[in-house]
Amino acid sequence: MTQQLDRRADTTRLQILRAASRQFARKSYSSVSLDDILADAEVTKGAMYFHFRSKHALASAIIDYRFAVARTSVDELLARKLSGLETLIDISYLIAIEDIGDEFARAGLNLLESVGRTDGLQANVLGQWVTGFAAIAGKGVRDGDIMKDRAPESIASLMVSMYLGLRQTSNLADPERFLHDLEKMWTLVLPGFVNPDRIDYLNQFIKRRTAVAIKNAIPL
Amino acid sequence: MVRQARSEATRRKIITSAVELFNEIGYPATGLGDIIERAEMTKGALYYHFDSKESLATAVIEEGSAHLVQAFRNITSSSAPALESIIHGVFVVADLLSTDMIARSGTQLMRAFGEFNEAAARTYGAWLAEMTACTGRAIDDGDIRSDLDPQTVGETILGSMLGAELLASATTAGADMLQRVTWTWKVLLPAIVSQESRSYFDEFLARESMRHSPASLAD
Repeated sequence: MTQQLDRRADTTRLQILRAASRQFARKSYSSVSLDDILADAEVTKGAMYFHFRSKHALASAIIDYRFAVARTSVDELLARKLSGLETLIDISYLIAIEDIGDEFARAGLNLLESVGRTDGLQANVLGQWVTGFAAIAGKGVRDGDIMKDRAPESIASLMVSMYLGLRQTSNLADPERFLHDLEKMWTLVLPGFVNPDRIDYLNQFIKRRTAVAIKNAIPL
Repeated sequence: MVRQARSEATRRKIITSAVELFNEIGYPATGLGDIIERAEMTKGALYYHFDSKESLATAVIEEGSAHLVQAFRNITSSSAPALESIIHGVFVVADLLSTDMIARSGTQLMRAFGEFNEAAARTYGAWLAEMTACTGRAIDDGDIRSDLDPQTVGETILGSMLGAELLASATTAGADMLQRVTWTWKVLLPAIVSQESRSYFDEFLARESMRHSPASLAD
């Protein structure tokens, strides 16, 4: 009986999160009202406050949820056992495709940039990403793709900065442009840390990933 | 529930013992008595799960090929270009053959039974279907020549890889499997890859083969 209740509560919770993501994916944090979310989720105010005490609690929950999901996708990519640098490039395209077409993904990063900046969530989540990517970059060094004297942590930070910056300067609503911009950034930064004899192949790799991504991307 | 778990554990133990013996002394020389002794169980327990040595072999074939097909599908189900996934998937399967005893034994049994065993025929059929679906996608991606037929390419890749596995296990007990897989791809790729993608795949293969060389497997 409790199990059944738990399950129903979970469904309601997810329903609210989904409706909120729909809003946060398209509007800034401050311009989204709880009433919009309530109307969209088709739940009572009571149910909403049972799960989330405030708009901020809702925003944090979306960030948590999104990053748990993203972690699973990254783990799946890691299970493919590609080379370290290829894996990092694949991760950036995976994140881009989800950011382009998935409301949770878009809302998660939007909120991380706005709300997350002041409450420490941003530092925490991005810190975890950098640590995870640094381990993969370390593998890239051992594969012989990344120069030996480059610090994996710096490459990981660069990758996170590059992507978050791209969200500001490019346009997620125009997948083709966004993905081409991502390609250009990669092509530009690679010579900074990749062994010269590996560059041609990796440039090709990036070009091919861009083509596949453009084919698969569906904007919100 | 507890009973089911215990019964599954018994079944596992029988399969593991049988695979050990098949690998040590070969399928024909292994008697059910040897398996019972190795698994430390009664004749009744074995017959409860398997009514003959062949039904045990069938279980090994089914389980072994499930491991291999699953590993291959994990690679090919991604959004990466299909030909990259096929090449990478074949290497992953080759790696698995050297570490997964059930998969290795299943492959050998499958070869021994061939057309006489339904599970073996079914497994080859599943591999062909999977491979052909992938080659079809690779043609759409523009990586495999568009004038080739997906099934012909799929059959050729599968046939030559099975042959490579046979030679590796017959001549070096599987030790030079990865080397043979690399050689086979080296000959196959120029024949099937489109002009535009040729140089990329030469490099792709070189990288793949380097990553799977014994020196880097420690990673």
